[in-house]
Amino acid sequence: MIRLEKVTKSYGVTVAVSELSLEVNQGEVCMLIGPSGCGKTTTLRMVNRLTEPTSGRIFVDGQDTAHVRPEQLRRSMGYAIQGVGLFPHMTVSKNIAVVPHLLSWEKERIAQRIEELLSLVGLNPAEYAGKYPGQLSGGEAQRIGVARALAADPPILLMDEPFGAVDPMTRERLQAQFLRIQRSLKKTVIMVTHDLDEAIRLADRIAIMEAGRLVQHDTPEAVLSRPRNKFVHDFVGTDRALKRLSRISVSGFVRQSPSISISASVEEAAAACVRRRWVWVVDENQRLRGWIDRDSLHEVASVRESIVATDPEVIAVAETATLREALSRMLGQGLRSVPVVDDRGRLLGEVTVTDVENATAAREA
Amino acid sequence: MSHRQARRWLILLLMVAAFAWLISNMWVWETALGYLFSQEAQVIHPRASLLVLVLEHLRLVAISSAMTVFIGVSLGVWATRPGGREFLPIITDITSFGQTFPPVAILALAVPMLGFGLLPTVAALFLYGLLPIVRNTIAGLDAVSGDLVGVAYGMGMSRTQTLFRVEVPLAASVIIAGLRISIVINIGTAMIGAVIGAGGLGSPIIAGLVQDNLAYIIEGALPAAMLAVLADQLLTGIEDSLKTGGD
Ligand SMILES: Nc1ncnc2c1ncn2[C@@H]1O[C@H](COP(=O)(O)OP(=O)(O)OP(=O)(O)O)[C@@H](O)[C@H]1O
Ligand SMILES: [Mg+2]
Repeated sequence: MIRLEKVTKSYGVTVAVSELSLEVNQGEVCMLIGPSGCGKTTTLRMVNRLTEPTSGRIFVDGQDTAHVRPEQLRRSMGYAIQGVGLFPHMTVSKNIAVVPHLLSWEKERIAQRIEELLSLVGLNPAEYAGKYPGQLSGGEAQRIGVARALAADPPILLMDEPFGAVDPMTRERLQAQFLRIQRSLKKTVIMVTHDLDEAIRLADRIAIMEAGRLVQHDTPEAVLSRPRNKFVHDFVGTDRALKRLSRISVSGFVRQSPSISISASVEEAAAACVRRRWVWVVDENQRLRGWIDRDSLHEVASVRESIVATDPEVIAVAETATLREALSRMLGQGLRSVPVVDDRGRLLGEVTVTDVENATAAREA
Repeated sequence: MSHRQARRWLILLLMVAAFAWLISNMWVWETALGYLFSQEAQVIHPRASLLVLVLEHLRLVAISSAMTVFIGVSLGVWATRPGGREFLPIITDITSFGQTFPPVAILALAVPMLGFGLLPTVAALFLYGLLPIVRNTIAGLDAVSGDLVGVAYGMGMSRTQTLFRVEVPLAASVIIAGLRISIVINIGTAMIGAVIGAGGLGSPIIAGLVQDNLAYIIEGALPAAMLAVLADQLLTGIEDSLKTGGD
C-alpha cells in the first residue's frame, strides 16, 4: 500500500532521513518510533509530500507519489498531529468538514458525516459540534483530530504523535478507542510515537529508527524477543516481559468477583466475606465504590461505615485496558487483584496477579 | 451576537446618527460658535457647509484608504509568501520611509508632477498610511503557527485556500488593527489637502489660521476629531468581534 524506496532527506549537511526503505501493507498499523530527532516526522511528512525527499521514491498503491498532485494525494490521506492541529477559528464541525468540503461533498452528506464521526469517537454531536477548539479538553481535542483525519474516509492515515499531549489515563482511553475503530475500519496507518508501550500496544509492525536510518521493522513480539542490534536492545529496555503485557487486553482475563451493595447489612457483608478476606462494594447502580475488609466488620453497624472508599480512577482498570496497566495498578496500590469496570464505572469483575503471571508464562512458552 | 456586543453596536449607531445630525444642522454651529466668539463678525467659514466639507474629507480618506488597504494588505501577503520573502526588508524599508517622510513634503513634491487638488493629496495620504497596514499584515500572518499551516497543506488545501481559510482569518484581528490605525491617522492627515485645494475639513482651519479666526478652526477641527473617534470605534468593534469568534 505504502512503499518507501531508499528515501533520503538532507537539510544542508544534516541528513534527517537516510536511505530508508519501508513497506506498510494495506490495513496495517505501522508505528514509527525512535529517539528525538531521528527523522520520524520527516519520514511521515515525505509520504504526503509536505516534505520532498532529496532522493528515493515513495509509492502509494503502486503509484509514484512524485507524479501525483500534492493536494490530491493529501486528500486521500488523513493527517493528524499532536496538540495544535485543530483550526482555532473554526468550530468542531467546521474542522471536521475541511476535507469533505475540499472534495465538494454536498451539505447534507457533510452534516451526516460529522454526526457519524463524533459518535464514533464517543462525543455527543449535539454538544460538541458547535464548540471551538479552545473550549475542548486535551483529550477531546485529540479525538476531534482523529475524527477529522477520518472525515473523508481516506484509506490511509498519517498521524504524528496524535495522543502525545494528554495524561496517561486519557491516553490509555484514546489508544483503546483507536484500536476499536481500527479493528472495524482497517485503515493503513503510519503513526509516529515517542512511547514504546503505545507502539507495542497499537502496532501490527513497529519501525524503529535511529539517526535517520531504519534499524528494525518487525512485529512487536519480534522486536521484544529478537532485537536486531544493541541499539534496539537498549531501546526496548530490560523489562521486555512487562512490555509484552501491553499487547494483552484485560478483557480476556476478567473473572467474576464477589461484591456487595453499599446498603447491605453487616451480617450480609460478613457472609460475603466467608470465602475471602475482602469484597468489592458497589452502589445501587453497580458502580464501584470501594471495598470492605472482614476484620473491620466487628466494630461497625453498617457496610457504609467500614468501607474503604476508593476512587475508581485510581484503583480500577477499564476492560479495554492492558494487563500491563492492571499490573501497575496492583503494584501501585499493593493489591493482589484490581477491579475491572466498564465505561460507566460499573464493576465487571477483577483481574488477579496470578492471571498476569499465567499470561506472561504463556507468552514466554 | 452577545447582548454586550449588540449594545455596543447600538451605541455606535446612535453616535453616527448624532454626528450626521450635527453636521447637517448649521444653525447649531452658528449659535454655539457665535455665542463663544461674539467678537468675530463671522463664525462659519463661507466656502461650503459642514456637510459638504465632511463629504469632501471622507472622499479623500475613502479613496486613499481604499488604496492603502488594498495595496498594503497585498504587499503584506506577498512579503510573507515564499516568493516574496526576499523582498520583505525592502518592503518594510519603503513603507517606513513613507511614514517618516512628512506628508506636506510629499505634497510639495507631488504638486509639480500631479498638479493641485485631489490627486497629489491622495498620493500623499496613500504613502503616509501604508506602514501600519503592511506592518500589521506581516505581523499577523507571521504569527499564525507554522504547524497549523502545515496541517492545512497536509489536509490537501492549496496555497490560496490555506491563505484565505486559515491564515487570513487567524490574522484578521491584527490586520484590522492596522487598518484602524492607518485610517484614523489618515482622517487627521487629510487636513493638509486644503493647502493645495483638495477641500475637506482642512479648509476652514487654513482660513482660520490665515484670518486669525479661532471659530473657523474649531469648525474644522471638531468634526474631524469626531470623525476620527467614530472610525476608531467602528473598527475596534469589528476587530473585537473577530477576536471573540476564535476562542
Ligand atoms: N526544516 C528543517 N530544516 C532543517 N533541519 C530539519 C528540518 N526539519 C527537520 N530537521 C532536522 O532533521 C532531523 C530529524 O527531524 P524530525 O523532525 O524528523 O525528527 P523526529 O524524529 O520527528 O523528532 P521528535 O521525536 O523530536 O519529533 C533533526 O535533526 C532536525 O533538526
Ligand atoms: Mg517529530
